[in-house]
Amino acid sequence: MSNIEIDAPGTTQLLLGNEAIARGALEAGIGFATAYPGTPSSEIMATLAPIAKKMGIYAEWSINEMVAFEAASAASLSNIRALSSMKANGVNVITDFLVNLQMTGIKKGLVLVVCDDPGGMTSSNEQDTRPIAKWLNIPLLEPSTAQECKDMTKWAFELSEELGMVCMVRSVTYLSHTRGNVRFGRLPEETKKAHFADFYDIDDPQQSKYTCGMQFHPYKQSEVLLKRFSKAQGHCEGSPFNSYNGPNTPDLIIFTSGICWTYATEAVKILNLQDRVGIVKLGTTWPLPEEFVTRHLERSNKVLFIEEISPLVEQSVMELAASLPADRPRPTFYGKRSGHVRAWGEQDLNLVIQSIATVMGTSYRSRQSSNAEYQSTLKEVAKTLPARPLTFCPGCAHRASFWAIKIALQLDGRNGFVTGDIGCTAMGMISPGSFQVRTYYAMGGGVGIANGFGHLNQFGFSQPVIAVCGDSTFFHASIPGLINGVWNKSNFTLTILDNSATAMTGFQPHPGTGITATGETGKKVSIEAICRSLGVSVQVCDPFDLTDTVNTLLKVMRNEGNATVVILRRECELVRARRERKKPYKMYVDSSRCIGEECGCNRICTRVFSCPGLVWDRDAGKAVIDEAVCEGCGLCAEVCPQGAILKEAL
Amino acid sequence: MMDNASKELYEEVIESGLCTLCGGCTGFCPYFVIHEGRIVRLHQCKITGGQCYQYCPRTPTDMNAISRHIFGIPYGEYEIGIAKEVFLARSTDPEIHQKAQDGGVVTSLLSVALTEGMIDGAVETKLDDEKVPHGFIARNREELLECARVSYEPSPVLEAINHLPKENSEKFGFVGLPCHVASLSKMKVSPPTNRANIENVKLAIGLFCGWTLSHGFHQFLQERFNLSKAIKFDIPHHPAHSFDVYTKSETQSVDLDEITPFINKACSYCIDMTAEFADISVGSGRTMFKGWNTVIIRTKAGAEMLEVAKSRRAIETQPIPAESLKNLKRASLSKKKRSLQNIISMTGGVDDLLYLGISQNLISKLLE
Amino acid sequence: MSARELSKDPLNVIIAGVGGQGNVLMSFLIGSALVRSGYFVTVFDNYGASQRLGAVASHIKISREGANASPLLHEGDADVIVGMEPIELLRNLIRFGNPEVIAIVNTRPVYPIGVISGEVDYPELNKAIETIRRLSAQSWIMNATEEALRLGNPIYANVILLGALLGSNTLPLDKETMEGVLKEELPKVFDTNMVALHRGMDLVRETMNK
Repeated sequence: MSNIEIDAPGTTQLLLGNEAIARGALEAGIGFATAYPGTPSSEIMATLAPIAKKMGIYAEWSINEMVAFEAASAASLSNIRALSSMKANGVNVITDFLVNLQMTGIKKGLVLVVCDDPGGMTSSNEQDTRPIAKWLNIPLLEPSTAQECKDMTKWAFELSEELGMVCMVRSVTYLSHTRGNVRFGRLPEETKKAHFADFYDIDDPQQSKYTCGMQFHPYKQSEVLLKRFSKAQGHCEGSPFNSYNGPNTPDLIIFTSGICWTYATEAVKILNLQDRVGIVKLGTTWPLPEEFVTRHLERSNKVLFIEEISPLVEQSVMELAASLPADRPRPTFYGKRSGHVRAWGEQDLNLVIQSIATVMGTSYRSRQSSNAEYQSTLKEVAKTLPARPLTFCPGCAHRASFWAIKIALQLDGRNGFVTGDIGCTAMGMISPGSFQVRTYYAMGGGVGIANGFGHLNQFGFSQPVIAVCGDSTFFHASIPGLINGVWNKSNFTLTILDNSATAMTGFQPHPGTGITATGETGKKVSIEAICRSLGVSVQVCDPFDLTDTVNTLLKVMRNEGNATVVILRRECELVRARRERKKPYKMYVDSSRCIGEECGCNRICTRVFSCPGLVWDRDAGKAVIDEAVCEGCGLCAEVCPQGAILKEAL
Repeated sequence: MMDNASKELYEEVIESGLCTLCGGCTGFCPYFVIHEGRIVRLHQCKITGGQCYQYCPRTPTDMNAISRHIFGIPYGEYEIGIAKEVFLARSTDPEIHQKAQDGGVVTSLLSVALTEGMIDGAVETKLDDEKVPHGFIARNREELLECARVSYEPSPVLEAINHLPKENSEKFGFVGLPCHVASLSKMKVSPPTNRANIENVKLAIGLFCGWTLSHGFHQFLQERFNLSKAIKFDIPHHPAHSFDVYTKSETQSVDLDEITPFINKACSYCIDMTAEFADISVGSGRTMFKGWNTVIIRTKAGAEMLEVAKSRRAIETQPIPAESLKNLKRASLSKKKRSLQNIISMTGGVDDLLYLGISQNLISKLLE
Repeated sequence: MSARELSKDPLNVIIAGVGGQGNVLMSFLIGSALVRSGYFVTVFDNYGASQRLGAVASHIKISREGANASPLLHEGDADVIVGMEPIELLRNLIRFGNPEVIAIVNTRPVYPIGVISGEVDYPELNKAIETIRRLSAQSWIMNATEEALRLGNPIYANVILLGALLGSNTLPLDKETMEGVLKEELPKVFDTNMVALHRGMDLVRETMNK
């Protein structure tokens, strides 16, 4: 696959946007990189970590984005260029620190890489993080191609140092996970020396530059910050990442940035409007390079903003236009405000073609829609195709956990429910998890909200609350919530589904695994020990032992007025399979015993339990094991009411 | 009605408070379980025309059809059902006598049936370590003796036979309360298709029953007594007014008034005190005949069992005094009338009698 | 390095399949080979959540002109669709197909969880194949999985399809460049991969459809 550590300037490789960002950081000579797994950002650290030692870099998967970013800032303050990468939700988590850091400034380049997920394909929402840059005075760079991912990341460090400020490089799924040609630059050769120059000097004692205290009022620091930021404009004005492509006096000017630039460029070509439409590409989206923008605004009296989710560019340019002298002709603006560009969901070539065609008064027929018969056949076929929804992998411990939780809640009979969290456990919301998860917000949100539910008994609330989180999530965010519940005596059960993996994002290590990002042995941290140290009831069960798990849950749910912990521990099946390379059991169905659709079963194994390894053979009217998919975990044997599913130890 | 299944069962019987926890719907089915004295639905079953609905004694029950199937005649106005013979009896075996509730007749009959190979096992009730009743198949004398005593809580007896697959060809005896026997009878009228052949139940023994006590009662017992030491429970007849708990060394009592709040509401809609569809019905001998059982023989199978037991000298019998029989009949009739009234109060009129499928004639007679 | 000309610029290829079939690797290999041949390539692997048995499609745009290509094809813009699974080929035909599209299909079904659990139907396979034939200008239908099992592992289906793609002459890819990439990226299984590649090329010759 990709080889980003090679010192061969001028070579071209096919790199993911994320790999290109990593390469850009290498070409910038970083010495420190931190991250927390989060799609679509994870590949950045996954690319850097294996080569970190070789490249003389410290690379870390931190316990959460907050610590990751804080740690990276230490490197920056000590003369080491540092990178911290995360998904959008992570930026929310670092905001407090980020505000204060930006106020007081940094030393060597500190670049925050954010990978947003418009459309929310792999996230709980589709947050556009860019407005935070405007809000907190962070220079914002938006690469549009894999090449720019590299080049702009490299430049971001230079800009960051020039200004003494954190800079943000912002990507999206369609950029981070797209491979494109990347021509490599050179790798710098320099020895790095870390030193924090702002230590207490006995001969010259004074408040540190990096604090915002009572002597040095925050509002004064705000003034400093704004002055510092105003220099950013100058650096951005002449940036080669901002460009114009098109005729001198087009009928329409498109302002766009990031991946949307590729949509706009290609759309104009497809519509054959190259002679009539010009495209302004913003690479330095914030601060707006005002002279550059104004120059191109003057080209046309029609302006269209092609932008995803937040109208940041749209509003900033309109703000700028409003401030121009009154004698300037006022263009007509098209975008989200006018309804020409969808304000939610990701943009794509289809939508952008439509937006441009509408504004230009033309129409477009695709190679498909120009053939009505073809398209109508397609529509008919579409109706017959089954979807491929998410499910738990065969052998997944979570399938067992949610099965047991469902049974326990039904037996308990008080309309109890599960408050869920982020990760593979989130699939407790849908069929494979028996629809048990009823609230789902953010990392640590499960135990957080459970705290509240657990204090409603004075209002007649009597429903048992089970907060569910994974092991990685526990370390990341659930510990304070648990401590709060213990201390304030909230009535909930925190059920930690410990499969020893940060599975959803690709099996990155975490404190419970004891391995670090670079593959070294760190210190293993015990979830059980942390919970027991709080002096509350902590039970540990194997979720595959359904009876024990159900009985344990039933018992702790009766434990009124106290937060309790149940750890359902079983290794992630994919991790186990990869390591052991063999199945524990050979599973098969005794079809003479299988009663399938009949009363007394109603296909409970395939219809309710639902594992991809268990197939319903419609013609035979029997369940059948798909050996190619079955992991041999043996759980389905316990579900069959007729004992028709059998297992043979291998 | 042919399409009714778990959802309808849950709404019409369980949520309406008619369920007697007989276990007819659990056992063979992974969707219903009994937990702490309630029926719990674990998952959603989508079958239409489910056997759970079909065999529940509290879904529409055609008493005439059952009566015709067992006795050849429609369900009639007999206070204690069809009774070929009524008499008193007790076990001749001292060990059985000692371990039994009253006369030990049930255990004796089943013991003979097992020994003679008439049955391979007896479907009974066994109490676990916490004294919670479960359905159980006793296959030898020791196991029979373990089941010999009454628990006043409902027992899901039918679970023990309901879970048996089609291949099972063992012959069984069966001991249950009137609701168990009613469910069993519904199975005999339209036999289940994919489980053990119901005709393998060769002998159904029904126990007289006025009511059972709810799960709250179990918790009450746990609080008041050391249940692990208890070996027998008894509610002695009038004029006693107590609930007795026997341990090896002593007997403890609570006043019956403390127990009556736990009477299962579902029992107040039951018209069958003497298990009218059993082959043999057995009750206590009441105060006058402590240590004896009242026995009713109803069918040919019942009569045959009696003959075998007598010939093996397993039981001794004596005639039942006229007064006792009269009292029995009066008690049974009174339950019918009371229950019918309760049903009518619940539904608001004689047009809807919930599960009860009886003739207009009988309704009028009972309402007199 | 010899490179055939692009039949159009950009040339748009979709590799569609089910998570775990290896189509991400396959599209990377194709992309790498094309970069070596001097093309600008954009490869986007489109999956909801990367998971076994989820629907995956890689969009490959090949151009001489420059890397300005947007990652995802727009409606009806596919020139070639390779389906490692029949339903996934149909699914991508629906969004990106057009009367001129070329299709290469592996006929072995992978059942979605809804079909597995008996809730939904999997379309009748022969009808699906017929539909693919009807909705494409040229199509090659093969049981690549069966061929791969002969080589010892169903995963070789993707290299067989790669061979088919090569043999179809629809891409400006030559065998030598492809072999070079395979040798570099997957050295341990190079020999079997070569057999698979050639098998795929043969299958295209054998099953010329239109």
